[in-house]
Amino acid sequence: MTTLLEARYRTVLRLLPSYYREAREEEMVEVYLWDVDQETQDQSRPTLGEVASIAALAVRSRLAATGAPRRYALFGSAVRNFALYAVLLQAAVIVSDEVLRVTWSATRGPREWDLFLTGFTGSGPLPTVVAIAGWVLPLLWTVTFFALVHDRRRLARAAVLLAALPSLWPLIEPLVTEWPMSAPYFVTANALFAWLPALAVCAAYHRDAPPAALPPALPGWPSWPAVSSPAAPSRCCPPRSISPGPPPPASSSPPSAGCCCVPAARNRGPAARRRPWRCSAC
Amino acid sequence: MTQAAFFVLTALADEPRHGYGILREVEDLSDGAVQLRVGTLYGVLDRLTADELIVLDREEVQQGRLRRYYRLTDEGMRALDAEAERMAAGASAAKRRIAEGRKAGGTPPVTGPGLAGGLA
Repeated sequence: MTTLLEARYRTVLRLLPSYYREAREEEMVEVYLWDVDQETQDQSRPTLGEVASIAALAVRSRLAATGAPRRYALFGSAVRNFALYAVLLQAAVIVSDEVLRVTWSATRGPREWDLFLTGFTGSGPLPTVVAIAGWVLPLLWTVTFFALVHDRRRLARAAVLLAALPSLWPLIEPLVTEWPMSAPYFVTANALFAWLPALAVCAAYHRDAPPAALPPALPGWPSWPAVSSPAAPSRCCPPRSISPGPPPPASSSPPSAGCCCVPAARNRGPAARRRPWRCSAC
Repeated sequence: MTQAAFFVLTALADEPRHGYGILREVEDLSDGAVQLRVGTLYGVLDRLTADELIVLDREEVQQGRLRRYYRLTDEGMRALDAEAERMAAGASAAKRRIAEGRKAGGTPPVTGPGLAGGLA
């Protein structure tokens, strides 16, 4: 006869995907009920810790645990790719934003620089701490990306949670200060864009998940090894041998939109920046 | 190898055990320091099975309930042995250092000039 406690455990086990329940449910129920008195079973409940451990197992088994069916493996792979590229995007946005802001403030005279510094120090201790944390912590998106690429999962999880933290401040600020929330839709979306990747990193890069893998090439871009090698620009244009005849005259006009020289040149040194539309193959 | 995986392998080193038996054995082996929850235990069992360190030994049905017994594979025994050697080497190195520290009077050796001597 099924007791109330057994029914409660089975309800908790419904968090697990069906393939996992089919394989393990009876065995797990046996473990749960092993040393519980038959007479006291109706007064007991699964503890919070037991529910939490099953919830964690449910996340792992849905995001490509070992031996998972194909659809769970695909889902896990999709979540991991989303997490990786969302982290990369956040890191790129934050780094470029902060570099641009510092460059602008440092090159527009002392007044702009003072204005920049006042943003950190001008309004008392709490806003100063918040401003410094809001400046420093988002840089951890970069740490998260490189930690994922180098398969340092614990570091990636810690870094991404810290990096996403400042996005909550605009939501909390009206509760602890007298300032009203400005642009609520924007700050909510901002927090969502930070915490979705953060949660995806924490859930999908679990211990049993395969390591993060960069794709061999991004659409319209050369492959990753090609980007890092000195010969990268010569690979991004069609080979010359395709069009027989004399080489085309040197032109000062930018290449067509189909050529990838422009983004590639932006990533190179000062010489490339002087002629950003030309690469060595053009 | 995680602490949980190490204790699960250790629990299975002498004989095949089922899930509840592994939980109790891990608790005994660690003097109560490691108390695995069922979700954690099955996560570890999944990983060890996938790594071919343990296999299903047999199944029994008792009072309408399923018990699965797991046992170590040869690979699992080798992995446990290697991990135990590694831990023993670390423990003996720690003991050696502690003994050396006690002999030296409990103060760590000074490896560079201190502030008093270096700046004088």
